Amino acid sequence: MLALLPALLAIALAQGAPPEPPRPRDLSPQSRRYQIERIQIVGLERAKESEVRRHLLVAEGDLLDEERVLLSRLRLLQLGWFSRVETRVEKGTERGLVVLVLEVAERNTVIVTDFILGSTDPEPIYGGLGLSQQNFLGRGFGLSGAFVYGGSPVGRPDDPDRFAVRASFFAPSLEVRGVRHGLVLGTTFMLVRGEEFTCGDAECDAFRSDFGAAPRIRYERIMGEGTVGIRPGPFERLLASYRYEAVRASEVGAATTVPGMEPAIFLGRSLVSAVTGTYEMDTRDDFFFPQEGMRGLFQVTFGSRLLGGDYEYSRYLLQLETAFGVLGRGLRLQTAVGIAQGNAPFFDRFYAADFSYFALGPALGRALELNFSTDPRYDAFLAMGGVEYAVPLWSKRSFFRRGYLALGTRAVYSTGTLGGKRTSFTRSPVSADVALRFDTPVGVFNLSAGYLLDNVL
Amino acid sequence: VTAGRSIAAALAALALAAPPPATAATSHLGVKLAARNGRLLATVDLGAAFAPPVERELGNGLTNVIAVYVSVLPTDGGGPALVHGRVIEILFDVWEEAYAVTLKDPRTPQGVSFVLADFRALRAFLAEEKDLDLGPVALLPEGGFVVEARVEVNPVSKEQLHRTREFIANPAGGSRAGGGSRSVLGAMASFLLREPAPGSDVHLFRSRPLGRGEVVAR
Repeated sequence: MLALLPALLAIALAQGAPPEPPRPRDLSPQSRRYQIERIQIVGLERAKESEVRRHLLVAEGDLLDEERVLLSRLRLLQLGWFSRVETRVEKGTERGLVVLVLEVAERNTVIVTDFILGSTDPEPIYGGLGLSQQNFLGRGFGLSGAFVYGGSPVGRPDDPDRFAVRASFFAPSLEVRGVRHGLVLGTTFMLVRGEEFTCGDAECDAFRSDFGAAPRIRYERIMGEGTVGIRPGPFERLLASYRYEAVRASEVGAATTVPGMEPAIFLGRSLVSAVTGTYEMDTRDDFFFPQEGMRGLFQVTFGSRLLGGDYEYSRYLLQLETAFGVLGRGLRLQTAVGIAQGNAPFFDRFYAADFSYFALGPALGRALELNFSTDPRYDAFLAMGGVEYAVPLWSKRSFFRRGYLALGTRAVYSTGTLGGKRTSFTRSPVSADVALRFDTPVGVFNLSAGYLLDNVL
Repeated sequence: VTAGRSIAAALAALALAAPPPATAATSHLGVKLAARNGRLLATVDLGAAFAPPVERELGNGLTNVIAVYVSVLPTDGGGPALVHGRVIEILFDVWEEAYAVTLKDPRTPQGVSFVLADFRALRAFLAEEKDLDLGPVALLPEGGFVVEARVEVNPVSKEQLHRTREFIANPAGGSRAGGGSRSVLGAMASFLLREPAPGSDVHLFRSRPLGRGEVVAR
C-alpha cells in the first residue's frame, strides 16, 4: 500500500484538490520530541574534541532541534578545519533517546602565506616562503613563520646577508568565562637585517654600474610584540598590542644630504617602544570571492620615550574594502589612508609601492618589510583608492578548487611630510593589474601581472 | 602603446565573456510531455540524482530537503517559458524506521504528507516526477525547446550561512597589520572562514531538443 502512495499522490495532485493520504502515524518533526542522549564526533585526528564541541549549538540532554543541528554543521564547516561534516541521528539506549553523530573529515590546515620571488637591479634575485598552521594543537590557534633571503648585496660579497624572519602565534578565540566571544591573544617576533640606499636620488643613478659602491644605511631590527584583545561581536576584533624593538643602524659610505632621501632612523643603537590599538571587522560572505560585506581595519600606534623608546611618534592607518556582487561577478572597492606624525622610524612610515600594483620607477613593494629597491623614500601620508572587478572562472572539486580573474586599478598618493608635495615614487600614480587568483587546499595564490611588471619596470 | 591597448581590450573582453563557475555536470533528462485541459504536464526521470549512495544521507534521521525545479527553455536562447518548482522534505525516523515525506508545490503550498516504508519506495518516488504542471501549453515556444531540471539536495540559505559565520581568521603576519608582502605567487589572505563547497549537491539535467509535436494530447 505504501509503495502506491506516490502514484496516488500524483493522481491526487493532478486532479486539483488533493485528499490527505493515509498517515499510519505522525512522523512530522514537530511531533517528534526526541532527546539527545549523547553527541558522538567521529573522524577527529588532530582537532581537539573539546574545541569542536565548543562550536556546537546543541548539547547532550537537549531536545533534538534540527535547525540547531544544521547550524552546528555549517559552523564546523566554516571553521575551516574540516573538508566534510555530516550529521545523523541513531537510536539511543531507549525509545525517545537518540545519539547525534557528527562525522568529520579533517582538512589540511597548513597553508602557504607567502611565496616570494623577486628581482631588482641591486638584487638580481631574492625569495622567501611563509607557512602557517591554522589549527595549531587542534585548538584553532595560528602558528606562522615566514622568511625572505636576499644574500649579500650585489657588489659587496663580504657584507652580511640580508634577510627577514617572522614568527607569529595567534589565538583568535580563547574561551574565557565572562567574555562572550572569547579572548584574542597573539605574539609576533621578527628579525630583519636590511639596507636602505642613501644615494640622493631614487634611481641611485651615479652608481648604476656598480651598486656595491653606493652609500647605504645598514640596519638590524629585533622585534617582539604581544597582543591581547576581545571580540565585541562575531565579526569584530578590538586589539591592544605592545611592541618593543631593538634597532642598530650604521652608515656605509657617505650618506646623502638630500632631504627625504635618507631613511628615518637613529644611527647606532636605538629602541622602539610603542603601543597599538587595532579595530578590525570582516563581514564578507566569502574570504576568496566576496560578493557582499566589508573588511576594515583602523589602527593607531603611539611610540614614546615615556614607554622607554627613542622614537616619539604616532601612526594612524585606516583600510577599508567593500564587496558587491554584480551579475555573478565581484566588484571590490578598496581604500587606505595612513598618517605618520613625529619622529617615526622609516619602517613605521608608509612605503607607497606596498600599496600600488606596480611603480613606474625603481620602487618595488617590499618583502617582509625588506626593501630590495634603490628607492629609500618612506612617506608620512598615504592615500590609496582602488577598484577590482573579479570574474569567476571555475569552481570544482580539485586541487585548484576555485579561480577568478581579477582586473584592478589603483591610485596612490603619498607625501614625505604632511602637507608636502607628492612623492614621485612612480611616474604615474595610477597602476593596474590583471591577476589570476586561485583557492587551493594549501592557500590562496595570486598570479599577478602587475607584480611581474613591477619587477621589470 | 597600441599593442598594450589591444591586450587590455582582449583581457577585458575575456573577463566579460567568461562563463560563471560551473556548479555541477549536466546529465541527460528523460522527459515525457502531455497536454491536458490546456496545461503542459511533464514526467521527468531524475533517477541519476538519487543513486543508492544517497540512502545514507536521506536516512540520517534528520529532515532532508530536496528542491526540484523543472523549466522549459527555447533552444534559440532566452529565459524560461514555463517553470515548475516543488520542495520535498524527507525524514527517516530512526525509531519508526520509515520515511516521512512532505511534498510542497504551487498547488499544495501547505504540503501533502505521507509515509514510505523503505528507501526503495522513496527512491521510486523521487526518481520519477510525474505529471508536473508546467503551465499553459500556449506558452510553449514556437520553435524548438529543451526541458531542464535542477535538483538541489539540502540547499543552504545565505541566511543560515550568515548566522553561523564568525570572524576568527588567523592573520598570516601575526598582529602586525599593514606590512603585507608583495609576492608573485603570494597568498593574499589566510582566513579560517570557509564556505561549504558550493553546488556540491546540485544536479542538473537537460533534455534533447524537443518540438511542440512531441506533446501528447490526453
